Amino acid sequence: MVNDLYQDVILDHSKRPRNCHTMDDANRKAEGYNPLCGDKLKLFLKVDENNIVQDISFVGSGCAISTSSASLMTESLKGKHRDEALKLLDKFHDLLTTDTPVSQDLGKLVVFCGVRDYPARVKCATLAWHTLRSALTDVAVEPVSTE
Amino acid sequence: MLSFVMEGIHPHDIGTVLDRQGIAVRTGHHCAQPVMDWFQVPATTRASLACYNTVGEIDALVAGIWKVKEVFS
Repeated sequence: MVNDLYQDVILDHSKRPRNCHTMDDANRKAEGYNPLCGDKLKLFLKVDENNIVQDISFVGSGCAISTSSASLMTESLKGKHRDEALKLLDKFHDLLTTDTPVSQDLGKLVVFCGVRDYPARVKCATLAWHTLRSALTDVAVEPVSTE
Repeated sequence: MLSFVMEGIHPHDIGTVLDRQGIAVRTGHHCAQPVMDWFQVPATTRASLACYNTVGEIDALVAGIWKVKEVFS
């Protein structure tokens, strides 16, 4: 039924998102926007001189998939090196869009494996991660869009 | 046509749960972003009924909406 997509962890994080606040002393920020859904997200990071993510938070509005994805992403990235974070992004993207075996490195993020059966919802789950790429690579000057 | 919102539940989540029950609705802006801004909602769920629909199908929609509430309660 629908439980394959809306697993308990996803529902829990959508109702009680973790690290959901602004951060005054963030040294990296990015904004994400999904024009089809209207989902908006602002991401705040504190990355130290060794490129370790010391702190990360977000604010925004969106569906259960997008909110829980942002919440679980922030939980997964604290203490990780920038390069590790970007590798995790690629693995997460593979989880959602391919039939490759689930990577153990994803930890709790494997709860999103049900999204691969709902192609229309992939953008919801990846909004926070696209925004992360923008924040960590400084490529985008405009808010990142999933379109 | 019946456009509706449910407090605390995003229309795309409503649409997916209804879809899994075999109920087809449209969710999103419906190419009408100004009216979404006016009502201050991110999107709506829209059931489009016509003379081809049966009472049973309307009952299924109502039961489906109760299921949505159950999933996200």
